[in-house]
Amino acid sequence: MSGPLVDFVELTLVKAAPLIYAALAGVLCERAGILNIALEGQLTVGAFTGVAVAFLTGSPLLGLVAGIAAGALAGALLGIAATRFGVDQIVAGTGLNLLALGGCAFGLTVVFGQPGASSEVHSLGGRGEWILIALAFLAAIVLHFALYRTAWGLRVRACGENPKAVRSAGIDPRNVRLIATMIAGGLAGLGGVYLSLGELDLYSDGMTAGRGFIALAAVIFGRWTPFGAMGAAIGFGALAALQFTLQRSGIPSELMQALPYLAALAALTGIAGRARAPQSDGVPYTE
Amino acid sequence: MRAVQGVDLDVFPGEIHALCGENGAGKTTLASIAAGKLKASGGTVIARGVVGLVHQHFELVDRLRVWENVVLGHEPQRGATLDREAARERVNRLSKEYGLAVDPDAVIETLPVGIAQRVELLRELARDPAVLILDEPTAVLAPVEIDALFATVRALAARGTAVLIITHKLQEVVSHTSRITVMRAGKVVARLATADTNVDAIARAMVGGELPELAARRETIPAPVFSMHEISAGESSLAVRSAALEVRGGEIVGIAGVEGNGQSALADAIAGVLPYTGSMELDGTPIPPGNPGARIAQGIRAIPQDRRREALVLPWSVIDNITLGDQRRPSLRKGGTLDRPAARELARTIVERFDVRTPSLNASVSALSGGNQQKVVVGRALAHNPRLLLAYQPTRGIDVGAAALVQSRLIEARNAGVAVLLISFELDEVLALSDRVIVMYRGAIVGTFERDAIDRARIGALMAGAGLAGVAS
Repeated sequence: MSGPLVDFVELTLVKAAPLIYAALAGVLCERAGILNIALEGQLTVGAFTGVAVAFLTGSPLLGLVAGIAAGALAGALLGIAATRFGVDQIVAGTGLNLLALGGCAFGLTVVFGQPGASSEVHSLGGRGEWILIALAFLAAIVLHFALYRTAWGLRVRACGENPKAVRSAGIDPRNVRLIATMIAGGLAGLGGVYLSLGELDLYSDGMTAGRGFIALAAVIFGRWTPFGAMGAAIGFGALAALQFTLQRSGIPSELMQALPYLAALAALTGIAGRARAPQSDGVPYTE
Repeated sequence: MRAVQGVDLDVFPGEIHALCGENGAGKTTLASIAAGKLKASGGTVIARGVVGLVHQHFELVDRLRVWENVVLGHEPQRGATLDREAARERVNRLSKEYGLAVDPDAVIETLPVGIAQRVELLRELARDPAVLILDEPTAVLAPVEIDALFATVRALAARGTAVLIITHKLQEVVSHTSRITVMRAGKVVARLATADTNVDAIARAMVGGELPELAARRETIPAPVFSMHEISAGESSLAVRSAALEVRGGEIVGIAGVEGNGQSALADAIAGVLPYTGSMELDGTPIPPGNPGARIAQGIRAIPQDRRREALVLPWSVIDNITLGDQRRPSLRKGGTLDRPAARELARTIVERFDVRTPSLNASVSALSGGNQQKVVVGRALAHNPRLLLAYQPTRGIDVGAAALVQSRLIEARNAGVAVLLISFELDEVLALSDRVIVMYRGAIVGTFERDAIDRARIGALMAGAGLAGVAS
């Protein structure tokens, strides 16, 4: 089966998958009260580590595992900075983004002996790519269930609203937040692996191309819920696919690229119905 | 200096014990230590079981449901999932057992403050505490809600719970407790049996001497000064809705109400810092909306509710803070610049008249105690013969001596013909100072009482919503 519509839907899913991973990571962090603007860096770290380990071991599967782990580690750095040292989350996130970009550029020359881009490695293949796409949807369902149906999810949501209440209930909100940032980092890392080992078979500097920030827009547009963020990510994926399809139509692609941010702005200003961030989103909790 | 030093305190099963003291005496610190939320640098805490603590500012998650708040940290499980039915069941059982009716599925932010407090109480009771500490539990409640709370507390004590109530409302202490411990400056200064004491004796122990007397009220001939009509301002539950009132020169109009019933929006609208609809007049001239500077020039002065955030620039000197707001006033200018000697002279007068304890006029106000900071704010507001003085919680969080001085200055301003609008959550303060009492509930004015017709019980009922059709009290 083929045709322009099927192509468009396929391309939408391909473009949406990494956004879904990153947006879910954003939802989880922000519901726990950590504003994770380092999603971009976590995507980058996941993408690079995946390729590097696949290159060194010859196994894209090991690359995938390593990419998730690297993302989780990057998430943990943000979590530790935010919960143990009370660092401003925007500052820490910006620093981590720069660190990820620079570190991976440096890693390229160390592992591959060349700047700019890695050599081609064994990728996860077409089937691997589609499994990762399916997994992104599954991740949204699992996260929804975890947030709303488990004790852990209740604690995460409470942390994002009022960490002092969580403390009164005898739980250390710093630990809840740290674990949330690690899991989120792992999710974003998986999104990065999808980019480098799923959609492609190499890593190049800047390949994440602002997807971490579009994901933040998806979090807001999706009203801080897993399904909402997933829907927004699919919408933004469709925009990307449309941009690809309309390349020759004369509409400036920069305009299309700005649309996700306009959508987020609309969500925040109430044009698309009022969105409310968790009350303690981005507010440090220290003792 | 330590917040609490060398304190011994015993609370027995079945007892309701009061812990009294002025602001800053160390009561809340002591409660936090007893409940294990704060580590003491020395000494021991021994409790025969769990110590529960109901906070003055509730520690609830506003956007979660009642049952979610109650089970947080002790969630019933069914397999990997949270057992919602068991959680609701737990709330209903506790609710019934302690007579604290609440809908388990209600979201906290939609609940009136008295019901929210029940939820906090239920959450603590769910842990089956041997000791229950309530920190200023009645500060946010209307009188009827206060009675309900004490009924619950007495029932708890009857079951053998040791109850410690922290409060500065001495009438409650005398009516509901059996023993009293009084703290001052971090130390215990008196241990009293309620049966053998009275409000005055407790107050003297808290202050460490005789209570200062208020200035005398003199006969005045009230003349129209300020009026407002159909004023609406603010958002949703904190809004003020179509309020009309009049304050005449030579009288204090007091607004009674529980915190969060629109007082803040009303004050901000009058001060010109919050947009509003409706009209206001000063001395028969309409006041243009939304210009605080013009209002100051016209003689509308405010004692804002939060002196640290809205009234003072903390790092600035006493002189600069006293000049702030009046920097355009001719008496404080020479040529095109501020007249520093005149500002210093004004500051010196205020510091003297208001007994502000400050190292120097150039000292930063952050170095002053809360009471002395408030004296600077009140002194500034009264310095240039205002027409209308808006006093929002003018004695909040300051010691009894400073409070009496501030209240006396308000009365003296009234005697001199100033129109004073007093907003306070302390009903006693409103009743003591006001020539007329207006009751606010949910943003509306629901009652007006002249001084000679004040009916405390009726005011209390109105504060709890008895004035509105369909609202159960």
